[in-house]
Amino acid sequence: MAVPVRVHAMLERLGINRESVLVIVGDTLVTGDALLSDDTAAVEIRPVISGGCDSERRGDPGGAP
Amino acid sequence: MIEVRRHNAGFCQPCFLKHCRDQVSRAIEEFEMFGPDDRVLVAVSGGKDSLALWDILLDLGYQVDGLYLGLGIGEYSGSSGTYARQYAARRCAPLIEVDIPSEFGFDIPTGARAAKRVPCSACGLSKRHLFNQSAVDGGYDVVATGHNLDDEAAVLFGNVLRWETAYLGRQAPVLPAAPGFARKVKPLVRMGERETAAYCVLSGIDYIVEECPMAVGNKHLGYKDALNQIEVQSPGTKAAFYFSFLDRVSPLFTGIAEEERQGLQPCAGCGSPTTGEWCAFCKLVAKASGAPLGGAAGGTTGAGVAP
Repeated sequence: MAVPVRVHAMLERLGINRESVLVIVGDTLVTGDALLSDDTAAVEIRPVISGGCDSERRGDPGGAP
Repeated sequence: MIEVRRHNAGFCQPCFLKHCRDQVSRAIEEFEMFGPDDRVLVAVSGGKDSLALWDILLDLGYQVDGLYLGLGIGEYSGSSGTYARQYAARRCAPLIEVDIPSEFGFDIPTGARAAKRVPCSACGLSKRHLFNQSAVDGGYDVVATGHNLDDEAAVLFGNVLRWETAYLGRQAPVLPAAPGFARKVKPLVRMGERETAAYCVLSGIDYIVEECPMAVGNKHLGYKDALNQIEVQSPGTKAAFYFSFLDRVSPLFTGIAEEERQGLQPCAGCGSPTTGEWCAFCKLVAKASGAPLGGAAGGTTGAGVAP
């Protein structure tokens, strides 16, 4: 990927929804307008969406099967 | 450090952590979840939401113990348990552990196959039963779960797509106590998943990032993806969807849920409230372990408390 690039642009090019990830550069959490360049430390794109459970729609333990 | 687009705000680390604590405080107060004298049991999975919740509640000064359920899902359960214990040790907070395989004779994958349920169904009913049972057995006033805004919006979305009116009646940040039921609360409903993850990163809380292998491809993930497609174009949509439901629509369905609760009776095996003679958990245990109904599941959840 061509650099320098903004984080949100990078995610867009990778087809990643910015609402579904955190971007961590080195040990630092960065915002969407952070600039990534040639000498940027390792970039982690961490997914934040947990799958939950289909049965969660049931909510309360009402004893339903 | 972190932008929260639906609030049209960017935060530095200390301000973001304060923002998170404020959102939880506001949810507790607005929905009258619990008070400083209540004993709270937080259901902890080793994931970002439950650990963030536990951390915030401890920082806010509440009396909070953790409950970890070992589900027997291979390496995933091993890792998640480790993260839960590490956090408890870090905060010197009591952690109750209930290991389903050793205490009830089955793991979730096996139980699901034996009962001809999908794994998420067996897991969900086991967790709901054991969260409640542990709270009742331990004399806790409240069970708190780490359900966040994204979770609630996705559940609502799924229930609306199918007009599951009974489930819509049960979806609320607080489910009141009833005979055999502890009060159940969701203090993270004002926070999105991205915020709880950021909270953990910025607080130095290690959590299990890998997804449960049983959850891959489930509909819930699909609903979250769909809602996030809308959210990225129109920040604030998930919050508006969920909180407008609570304000304007939920009251129309709560009567259906109340009617269901009126028809409950104690399970012949464990005493938990159920619509039939035996509760769904006791039936699952019997099918999965091969024990007779009521033979393997008891009314107590045992397990030691780790300091």
